[in-house]
Amino acid sequence: MTEAALQLQTAADQRAIAAIRKKNAVWRRILKDPPAALAALFLILVVAAAILAPVIAPFDPYTTNMRLRFCPPMSDRCPAYLLGADNQGRDMLTRILYGLRATLGIGAIAVTIGGGLGAAIGLIAAFYRRLDTPLMRLVDVLLSFPAILFGLAIAAVVGTGLPGLVLALCVTSIPSIARIARGAAQSVMQQEYMEAGRAVGLGDGALIWRYLAINCWPTILIYMTLQLGQAILLGAALSFLGLGAQPPTAELGSMAADGRKFLSLAPRVSTIPCAAIFLVVLAFNVLGDALRDALDPKLRQ
Amino acid sequence: MISLPVLLGVLLIGFLLLQVVPTDPATVSAGPSATKADVDAIRLQMGLDRPLWIQFGGYIGRVLQLDLGRSMISNRSVAEEIALTLWPTVELMLACLIWAVPLGVLLGTLAARRRGTLVDRFIMALSVMGVSLPVFWVGLLLIQYVGGAGYLPFQGRNGPIWTSAGFMSVILPAITLGAVFVGPVARMTRTSLLETLGADYVRTARAKGASDWRVTIRHALRNALIPVVTLIGLQIGFLLGGSIVTETMFAWPGVGRMAVGAITSSDFPLAQGAILILAVGFMTINLAVDVLYAYLDPRIARA
Repeated sequence: MTEAALQLQTAADQRAIAAIRKKNAVWRRILKDPPAALAALFLILVVAAAILAPVIAPFDPYTTNMRLRFCPPMSDRCPAYLLGADNQGRDMLTRILYGLRATLGIGAIAVTIGGGLGAAIGLIAAFYRRLDTPLMRLVDVLLSFPAILFGLAIAAVVGTGLPGLVLALCVTSIPSIARIARGAAQSVMQQEYMEAGRAVGLGDGALIWRYLAINCWPTILIYMTLQLGQAILLGAALSFLGLGAQPPTAELGSMAADGRKFLSLAPRVSTIPCAAIFLVVLAFNVLGDALRDALDPKLRQ
Repeated sequence: MISLPVLLGVLLIGFLLLQVVPTDPATVSAGPSATKADVDAIRLQMGLDRPLWIQFGGYIGRVLQLDLGRSMISNRSVAEEIALTLWPTVELMLACLIWAVPLGVLLGTLAARRRGTLVDRFIMALSVMGVSLPVFWVGLLLIQYVGGAGYLPFQGRNGPIWTSAGFMSVILPAITLGAVFVGPVARMTRTSLLETLGADYVRTARAKGASDWRVTIRHALRNALIPVVTLIGLQIGFLLGGSIVTETMFAWPGVGRMAVGAITSSDFPLAQGAILILAVGFMTINLAVDVLYAYLDPRIARA
């Protein structure tokens, strides 16, 4: 075979590989699935709204106005209040935006820290075979224990409030991420480039960081996103019980609990935050299912 | 196997909780008129000067004798408080499982049988929604539209479940708690049943001419239920979380509500006891599920 023909063939191969990659791209699969695409779009909007809350919110979330108590949405008394006012005359829409910011923020911080720790445990367990059993046993113990009990125990020890809430959500997101990271890392460990890296004399740290972690992080990141939905639901439940964010903090769970006292008077004061939590968690779960299907070829048929 | 370290961890948390109690037990039992020397003598007598790990050993010994201390608010013994609240919690969980599990299995079976059809998609959509639903929202809606309208009671427990007043008062909490449980059960049943429907023995059953539903129920579902039982066991923790929220909302006098109340009012001995009993209860249920699993699948008992 001549040099030119060989070059032509490799170019054709590369184009074919690129075409297959494009066809299998995760985001492409997601877009083909209408509910998942809708969920992704919704989440992008929600996250943008949460980040931009101080810019786009029409009012201040903590300024009370007793003359506007329970003012119905867009009524004559408060035409600018799109979702009405709550039990202290604060704009509901503003509080929902700030509430999303707090709820999503707490979840994101907790999952980032807890997921990071979990990922480290998983990678180390896969890299050092001797540590595998003890580390995974520890993870199993964490996993077997109900998340809400962690929440109760931590709230009891460090007191009710945001630090305890974040700590509890952190601890509960460690074990599932650790399992996922270990699974992903174990398949990477089989690859020849790991052996090649060791052969050229790289240290363990460099191997774990530059070879193992970098090849596992897409999977880990996706499962961390999934975990976020669960963390938000748990965080909202703990705040609802009065163990997390405390009133008057604009946080969806504590807003729902706060509005409970006025259920017969103005049900929307607690129903709207509940609905917001539901929609956000639902979007995370729908998107998560689609991502899992797209990533796991076994489930694809 | 796994429960021993967990139990030790829970005991440690309980012990630490009693350490953060702001009042000094020696000062309290010495009384207001005691001199510093008296307090020191009592401290020595109570063993409070010894290293923490020896005190921890003593704590474990007391827990084994069901001596969990006294509530700082009601001044009743913690064991007594737990004895009062344990049965209502069990009652609520049973009332939830008794309708949610059969409904979940039924929906899952329907979805697996009509795989890929609109029925399947609808049931699976319901299941995802159920998993995403905050328990407290279901409760709030029920309180507002059913309880508030006067159809059913929604405040507290009006008696044991076998009396009619008690039965009426458990309906709304049981619906609330079960609503978030149907979805996962339906989903597990569907996945597990789809696997068994493809098995060889199902094909054999079909070949010998058994009717469609007979194959599904007698041959496939019976085997599909084994993983479902395990998964229900795993979901008990999830149920526990739901029941803590449900009890708090409906003023149901259970362990979960007691735990939350004790934590928010800084009643450390009671909080310690409540968390301990919730953890032990969870582990007991897991053990029971393991035993049930061996019963459903004799291969496991033999192995």
